[in-house]
Amino acid sequence: MSTAVPTWAGVAASLALVAVAVAVAWRQRLHLAREITIAAARAGAQLAAVGAILLLVFQHAGPAGAAGWLTVMVLIAGQVAARRARGLPRAMPVATAAVAVGTAATAGTLLALGVISTQPRVVIPVGGMIVSGAMVATAVTLTRVLEEAAAARPAIEARLSLGMPASQAFAPHLHAALRTALVPSIDSTKTVGLISLPGAMTGLILAGVSPLTAIRYQIVVMYMLLAAAALAALAAARLAERTLFDDAHRLRPLPAPAGKDSGRHPARPA
Amino acid sequence: MTGAAAADQAGGAPALFALEGVTVRRGGAALLDHVTCEIPAGACTVVTGPSGAGKTTLLRLLNRLDERDSGRVLLLGRPLPDLDVLALRRRVALVAQAQVLLTDRVLDELRAGQPRLGDDEAAGLLEQVSLPSAMLARGTAGLSGGEAQRLCLARALAARPQVLLLDEPTSALDPASTSAVEQAARAFIATGGSVVLISHDPDQTRRIAGRVLTLHSGQLTATRHVPAAASLREVP
Repeated sequence: MSTAVPTWAGVAASLALVAVAVAVAWRQRLHLAREITIAAARAGAQLAAVGAILLLVFQHAGPAGAAGWLTVMVLIAGQVAARRARGLPRAMPVATAAVAVGTAATAGTLLALGVISTQPRVVIPVGGMIVSGAMVATAVTLTRVLEEAAAARPAIEARLSLGMPASQAFAPHLHAALRTALVPSIDSTKTVGLISLPGAMTGLILAGVSPLTAIRYQIVVMYMLLAAAALAALAAARLAERTLFDDAHRLRPLPAPAGKDSGRHPARPA
Repeated sequence: MTGAAAADQAGGAPALFALEGVTVRRGGAALLDHVTCEIPAGACTVVTGPSGAGKTTLLRLLNRLDERDSGRVLLLGRPLPDLDVLALRRRVALVAQAQVLLTDRVLDELRAGQPRLGDDEAAGLLEQVSLPSAMLARGTAGLSGGEAQRLCLARALAARPQVLLLDEPTSALDPASTSAVEQAARAFIATGGSVVLISHDPDQTRRIAGRVLTLHSGQLTATRHVPAAASLREVP
């Protein structure tokens, strides 16, 4: 087993690691042994299926096939992100549009500048990373926007009562939600290479590529993930804001917040 | 009373606000149920009734923070949806029951809805609510409930509204703060403004009301006109 890429026998041998996890769960009576086994089986089956489909797409489909693949990923990602923001009006179209904006702008720029090739074997994995980053940023943004709107209703309505338009009345809360959503992307960009070697770079190094070549790819990946997260979060926040307020600049009814302060400075009792 | 509800029967001039068969439903329950009434200009109209009667909903309809499901709400004879909603909210200022301060400094708070407010005007606003002008330089954190409520009232007055909607403005205040808020409301009316105030306090209603609307389970159960002399009484 000295080859750079594991053989199928090697993959089978790695099942021993799943057995270790199952053994730990069983001995500690965590009632997770069955769930770990199912998760491992699902991961193997899903990746085998995806690998087979990718092989077909790489061999037979051109850029149109890659675009179709990306579209399906965006739709799935939109669905997943929307589930995090239950209670937000029209969460599904908002989340899907936000992921699509982040993905289209980032992947489009990389393709237009010729940074990455239009071949499916490049567009699909790179696009997958972009969609994934956009999905996480969208989910966090929508969750935070919803929580902010529900918890800060008195402050928002106080601003609306002063004659402010909805966008101005909600601005401080929108900014807070965006900051929360983007901090993980900024932190992982700051610490890349120091804490762990990131996925794309690890993959290239494992495949035998020189580390100096691998970092070029990784730098592009980090920049594109930052852009995808920022653009998706911004789009999600703006679109969510439109669904939270009606035409008369009224905050729509929302699920009750989970015990947060409603105003910035609650006064002492009289 | 339908279209005629908009016209004051005495003089033919339209009422400040007219509600015509207004119903508001939320989650299957009627918060307001076919309410028809008038709110006169140049007076303090007190809305009273038990908790859950629909008082706050009625108040929030008047600056369109809430919307009716049926019926009409008119301001000086014009249906509210025909008016620009942002201009309406500057004209009809609402001070909510919750004392929510939006900034870190008292002066910034007064400028929240009126960014070009000068220092002298800001000091004048504090005086209107019986707060010392020296307070302008203070932070908003740590204000007492009475001070915060009066600052919220001054913040609303900064936009020079024609109507003040006050949702239980004194329910948690000490007598001195209550007196200051009532005095500010009286002064506002004396300069041509109108006030709609929610109150649970019969004494306050006697002191300040020109008209009393009583709600019960979303229905208007009584409308009472109070002689002008009675509505000018000061806090004893």
